[in-house]
Amino acid sequence: MDKRWEQEAYGDFTQTWKESYKNLNSQIVPGDRLLRDTITKAKRLEQKHAGKGRVLLYKTAAAAATVCICLYAAMPVLASSSDSIYQMMYLVSPKIAQYFMPVQLSDVVNGIKMEVISASVRGKTVQVYLTMQDLEGDRIDETIDLYDSYNINLSFDGWCNCELAGYDESTKTATFLITIEQYENQKIDGDKITFTVGKFLSGKKTYEQVPIPVQLPADTTVQEVEVNGLGIADEKWMDALDHTDHLTALVPKAQVQQPLVDGIDLTGIGYIDGNLHIQMAVKDVLENDNHGFFYFKDHTGNKINSAYSFSFIDQAAQGTQTNYRNEVFEIDKEAFSEYELFGDFVITGNKTDGKWQVTFPVEKGE
Amino acid sequence: MEQAPFDLNGSAEQVIGYYANMVYRLAFARTGSKYDADDIFQEVFLRYVKKHPAFTSEEHRKAWLLRVTVNCSHKFYYAFRRKKEPEITDTVQAFRSLREDYAFLYEQLRRLPPKYREVVHLFYYEDLPAEQISHILNRKHSTVRTQLTRARAMLREFLKEENDG
Repeated sequence: MDKRWEQEAYGDFTQTWKESYKNLNSQIVPGDRLLRDTITKAKRLEQKHAGKGRVLLYKTAAAAATVCICLYAAMPVLASSSDSIYQMMYLVSPKIAQYFMPVQLSDVVNGIKMEVISASVRGKTVQVYLTMQDLEGDRIDETIDLYDSYNINLSFDGWCNCELAGYDESTKTATFLITIEQYENQKIDGDKITFTVGKFLSGKKTYEQVPIPVQLPADTTVQEVEVNGLGIADEKWMDALDHTDHLTALVPKAQVQQPLVDGIDLTGIGYIDGNLHIQMAVKDVLENDNHGFFYFKDHTGNKINSAYSFSFIDQAAQGTQTNYRNEVFEIDKEAFSEYELFGDFVITGNKTDGKWQVTFPVEKGE
Repeated sequence: MEQAPFDLNGSAEQVIGYYANMVYRLAFARTGSKYDADDIFQEVFLRYVKKHPAFTSEEHRKAWLLRVTVNCSHKFYYAFRRKKEPEITDTVQAFRSLREDYAFLYEQLRRLPPKYREVVHLFYYEDLPAEQISHILNRKHSTVRTQLTRARAMLREFLKEENDG
């Protein structure tokens, strides 16, 4: 269809111009430095997001959703039922609410109720509000993280996003906003969507500026490790590290001192090739998402972050996986005593397993 | 579309490596400036990592990246709109390998309105059908066809001017 139309409209000019244009473009490429810099920044962001989970997306919730949730938090009694959430949306903005059709389909597994409250179709965008509520205990809180365990099945092509939109303490209910943008211009009114959650994390605690008294050991043992994560903060390290698969790391010790926080151990400190390496270990990282960062402060309180960091994994025979994060600082050995070591850590309290699944129709509102 | 050498869970590094030229070339076609294309290139991929969108196919990831590149180019254009376009010699020098005989073609493209440039690029370089371009740019199918027709007529006119001299 397009080719015929093109031929009719453009004649033989097209092919020549197209060929020249393709040749021109073959010479337009991003510079090596730009490419390396972008990959480094992306990796750093990826690590940060992997650590903090999708809760970060809370900040990006649509303005209308934020207004709804503010009112939701202010009216816990009203918000205790799905009917009330829908009524509340009308109170906030009848114009927006009229696009949302009530769904109210739920699944209860392991004492946790997942309910799809309402869904809207506006143009090519589908938005869905769903809640997760603990009917038996306190496993759901404002730190809930679906931890990439959710899945959205569509009968049409599109891309999706799931954001934590709010949390109501009085009813132990977390509200999520799912946004699906349809790719093709297909008719989606009346189609069905299936949303599945496999597990979630909660009870996260953040520890900031934890002082870590350390001394340099008399000897340092090192090993070559296969790197599974790399973050470069100082650009000058890019050339040396960017395409590296293996790096020299400290051999982890059982414990250099008492656990930094429950769930994270300090397993090494020492100099390798003139740079200070500090190593932390997180057991079963795929099950708990515990993570942390080291930094130093000088006597004036200035913060010194690592120049780069890398991770490697030790897959124990029992199937448990320990992640070793190594941070590398450019601090001279002679000046080591002039600095104090600190850490920021995030520890997950609970992991709740289950398989919550709701299939619901999407219909256009008024 | 060519099979990507990774699955839908590919790492950011894999995705950037695979789509780098596609994003960069569209940003360059839209802005006409190496320096703006550099900024847009980084913005697109960092937005990709931050948004962490889920895709149902590789084709959809490609379409998402193309759309965001166009959106970022619009945003950049309006945020930092210049009184005049960058000098062509600046960009030719920036791409030291850019053959001089393509400079004329590049100049032709720069004379097109920005909204036509992205349509021309997606049609002639990415080989996308007008219908798919309309989805990516969120424009009516008929609008895309009209813009392509007008762009084509303008390009022909530029060529005539050059030949008449």
